[in-house]
Amino acid sequence: MTDLETYRAKAAAWLQSMAPTYGREARKGLAEADDLALGRRYQKAKFDAGFAGINWPTEYGGQGLGHLEKVTFDAEEMKHGFPNFYFGISLGMPVPVLMQFGSDRDFVKERVLKALQGEEIWCQLFSEPSGGSDLAGLRTKAEPDGNGWKINGQKVWTSWAHYSDYGVIVVRTDPTVPKHKGLTYFWVDMKAPGVTVRPIKLAGGDSHVNEVFFDDVKISDDHRMSPVGGGFAVAITTLMIERYVATDSAGFGPHLDLFVDLAKDTLLNGKPAIEDGRIRHQIARNHAMRSGLDSINVRARLMMQAGMIPGAEGSLNKLVAVRSRQKLSELAIDLQGTDGFAFDEHASQKEDWASSWINAPTGRIAGGSDETLLNTIAEKVLGLPQDHRPDKGIPFNQIPA
Amino acid sequence: MTILYDEGQQAIATESRRVLEARISKDALLPLLESVGDYHRPFWDTAKEQGWTALALPEAHDGLGLGLIELGLIAHQAGRSLSGAPFLTSGFGAAKAIELYGSDAQKAHWLPKLAWGESIGAIAFAAGPDALPAQPDVTYTDDQLSGIARGVSGGLAADVAIVLANGSGMPVLALVDLSGAERIAVPSFDNSRCVANLSFAGAKAETLAVGSAARDAALHILALQAVVTAHEQTGGAEVLMEIARDYALTRRAFGQPIGAFQSVKHRIAELYGLVELARANCIHAASREGAADFITAAAAARLSATEAYDTAARDCVQIHGGIGVTWDLGLHLHMRRARSLAIEQGSSLFWEDVLVDRLAGEAA
Repeated sequence: MTDLETYRAKAAAWLQSMAPTYGREARKGLAEADDLALGRRYQKAKFDAGFAGINWPTEYGGQGLGHLEKVTFDAEEMKHGFPNFYFGISLGMPVPVLMQFGSDRDFVKERVLKALQGEEIWCQLFSEPSGGSDLAGLRTKAEPDGNGWKINGQKVWTSWAHYSDYGVIVVRTDPTVPKHKGLTYFWVDMKAPGVTVRPIKLAGGDSHVNEVFFDDVKISDDHRMSPVGGGFAVAITTLMIERYVATDSAGFGPHLDLFVDLAKDTLLNGKPAIEDGRIRHQIARNHAMRSGLDSINVRARLMMQAGMIPGAEGSLNKLVAVRSRQKLSELAIDLQGTDGFAFDEHASQKEDWASSWINAPTGRIAGGSDETLLNTIAEKVLGLPQDHRPDKGIPFNQIPA
Repeated sequence: MTILYDEGQQAIATESRRVLEARISKDALLPLLESVGDYHRPFWDTAKEQGWTALALPEAHDGLGLGLIELGLIAHQAGRSLSGAPFLTSGFGAAKAIELYGSDAQKAHWLPKLAWGESIGAIAFAAGPDALPAQPDVTYTDDQLSGIARGVSGGLAADVAIVLANGSGMPVLALVDLSGAERIAVPSFDNSRCVANLSFAGAKAETLAVGSAARDAALHILALQAVVTAHEQTGGAEVLMEIARDYALTRRAFGQPIGAFQSVKHRIAELYGLVELARANCIHAASREGAADFITAAAAARLSATEAYDTAARDCVQIHGGIGVTWDLGLHLHMRRARSLAIEQGSSLFWEDVLVDRLAGEAA
């Protein structure tokens, strides 16, 4: 056995032993508060067993291992339906950015350790009502206030803000310069006076995203994680991390095996649907697409492991996988005919076709819409011209509304 | 096997690109379209001179002992440059059939000739829409082949063929010296493929495999060739994406480069996605030779590469507008090649079935 196979076996055995306590069956019927509490205990168990922060430095409580171990663990973990999604964003983007850019190292260390043990959760306050795809168009402002800053404005689509202890935030500190140049990156205490969180109920019935309002929220200057006016670059770093975190060739929907099983178990014109050419065509195409993404992801990890920078093809995953998942989910409902009406709004979108279908549009919009991603590929990878941008180079406060 | 190319492999990619770009031009390829039976001799001479014919064959028989990954890199460049003959893939398939299923005498006789490119090999499995027919048109009786194998790429020039034949109701994989066959040229939209109907009337043949083993062997050979062809298709798709990009940067309309319009730039960005998925599947499939999931990986590579090349041919011409459909610009060379490669080694319909049969088995 290679080292990695040994690691996989060790991880699989541990995860198997945790499944009765924290897995899919243990979570059935739990209210969200209880599920979150279970999730915190699971995260602590991971930490104690040496499976939290697998590829993070040991001085921050991590294991000091590589991306391959991390991905190996994740793939095994995914099989059991553990309550880990409350920590996905927290440990995926804000906390790694804090590790990299936080100025008070003792504070950073304390926060990272608490986050790794599931005691604290971080959110990422980027999108605004006036700027989602156009991140640099954001309007929330921070003005100098004594030795620190005062924040006013509104963020939106903030995942898990209602459970978060802290957040990282990009705000405008100078409206008199062009939009990318007037932004600064801070962390904020989500329990501070003036911070108001309001959940937004999404189309599928879930409420894990929020509006977050800032009314005269005062922070000291040591909350700053970028040079004044240098916040956009740090935000882009965050989004680059996101690119390699968000690599599920199933597009965060069900595995193709589940579709194959459905097609084998469903009779169409008196024969198993798996024998129907239309169904076979879609299975074959979806497999080819997913195996291509898997290979891209494996190659990217091998390159990172070897100290190389992976290619831009890593940006294809979300674009290609989520829109395919949307169509495949529609087909899965078609296959079930009127049996497809049945709907459980708490079902997992990784296991249930209706849940996958109704939540798919979120995936095509969050973290860069399909159209924004195509623009990014066209402009940054292929060198095609930028779109006409009337706000380019104009001071933010002079851009026509 | 790792899917990161090592330095030697990268050198193969760089050197084959340099050589082929220097020696192949559309001006040499366009006239071949209008004559039946000719191929681009400088391409084939280059393949022999550079050792590409020997690349993936065993050292014991004058090969270089490399594998699918290295041959795939050559094929990728052959796709970019529009290879002038189909023999690199067909000869590889024929040689692998002899290497894997032939006798010592057959290997000793044919493999060095194929490795040196002195002999050209061809594969004759298909009967029209059926890539691996249960009842092939060619029959095998008493060490002799009879009947017609239709649409054999390279058949007009080949010296030896591997034929899937019907031996009294049982499939037979047969090796036949084509000196005893009649070749009937098939005029095609891509004439340098040298497509022929091979007509046998009691041609002397030798068996490589019989019964279900013959069918398994034929599928394996087809999969090996499909991986090589998928690389070639990906190379073609990649170069068309680049041509489309370059044109969109220079051609202006309505006061700006047409690449600034999202309808055009998104179309090219979508091509990038198709090319990268095909490339990733190709690299993966080439690294799985000998593994249990090789056929599945080959099918995925084949499907995504066919889609990439066809779509790139369609869209690259569309982005060019009127100039794109002219004879002289030559984009139709890629349109034609995309379709020839799509129907050689089994079409997408065939590989979809192969793939789903396997996935359905695994998901049981």
